[in-house]
Amino acid sequence: MSQAPGYAHTPDEYESEKASNSYLMSLVAIMVGLPLPVVNVIASTIYYFNNKRSPYFVRWHCTQALLAQIIAFGVNAAGLYWTLSIVVGSNTITNTYIAYIVTIVIFNLVEFVATIYSAVRTRKGEHVVWWFFGALTDTLVKR
Amino acid sequence: MSKVFRQFSVLVLLFFGMWFTLSKFDFVRAFEVEEFTKSNERRLGRLVLDGLYSENSALQSDSVLSFVRGIQARLCAANDIPDSTITLHILIRGDVNAFALPDRQLVVYTGLISYCKNAEEFAGVLAHEIAHIERGHVMKKLVTHVGISMLMTIAGGDAGPDISRQIVTLLSSTAFDREQENEADAFAVKMMAGANIDPEHFANFLFRLSQEKNTIPKHFEWISTHTNSQERASEVLRLKKSERFDSLAIADTAAWASIKRSMRDF
Repeated sequence: MSQAPGYAHTPDEYESEKASNSYLMSLVAIMVGLPLPVVNVIASTIYYFNNKRSPYFVRWHCTQALLAQIIAFGVNAAGLYWTLSIVVGSNTITNTYIAYIVTIVIFNLVEFVATIYSAVRTRKGEHVVWWFFGALTDTLVKR
Repeated sequence: MSKVFRQFSVLVLLFFGMWFTLSKFDFVRAFEVEEFTKSNERRLGRLVLDGLYSENSALQSDSVLSFVRGIQARLCAANDIPDSTITLHILIRGDVNAFALPDRQLVVYTGLISYCKNAEEFAGVLAHEIAHIERGHVMKKLVTHVGISMLMTIAGGDAGPDISRQIVTLLSSTAFDREQENEADAFAVKMMAGANIDPEHFANFLFRLSQEKNTIPKHFEWISTHTNSQERASEVLRLKKSERFDSLAIADTAAWASIKRSMRDF
């Protein structure tokens, strides 16, 4: 995660608030959606589509937030499915399972911190680029 | 685009690397997950059994007890199941029923013994219930129907006395899900064949249940909790074909008749 120093555009107050909200949206949805991992993706998707015609800065950050949510959803859904297969199915608790849960907890925490950081920075009009998600967003969002 | 793939590869490597590294740590032993689960199951089993014995008496006939234990031992020995870990309880009750309880406990009502036409049929039902125990279906059924937090409360002794009675009712008069029943049937066929008992007797028992389905008295509990008996009988016969065994009778007709006769004394 980094702040792009060479980012030429200086977003106005409206753009900064909208871009920051895209991260806040996923945060609030995480609180509401626990333990179901799908609510934050739905919230981010709705917010993304609502801002499809917004300025570049807003669209860019909505996309980055959505992409991060989609990957997190996949990883968390697998964890939930695995847990359910133990609770109601015939699987048992193994070291591999616990290691997976610990791994996704760590990744979720990192994403949680990055989301808060990005929400604060983008609110100040700074362009925050995440590892991989930023590069992917660059290829998807055109000016 | 190459930057995206490069960074994605690093992210994937990081994720799987962390998962792989963490999986080398023995969490199960460190957190005593198994021991925690077992001790709760033990407490739960004791509570449920207390509830059951408060309403029913144990059969005191040594001959019947040793006969049934002999069948259990034969099934277990032939399938590498430690027989001593399964505790058998024969209770005096007319209901045609047998069911598994937490902590590897097996309950048989005298009504079931009276109903079976031969010892092999009875062995089939016993094998089916042992299969539920071996596959851990009992706790899974409880978790599904009662919930983990409630089970913890019960195991901790913080629930009322009615709860253990309700759990007995749940385990004795509601069905496992279909997948678990099929799994138990398949395992029972293997156990019977392994012990040189013809699984066809179990199929006969199931088929008879399906035939008597519409005329059954209300105390035929095992029937109400084991639906689709005809379909299952066919499946047992199909599974039997892939097993190799020498059919050795458990007891002759006279011996089984004698066991059934002794049921009438209670």
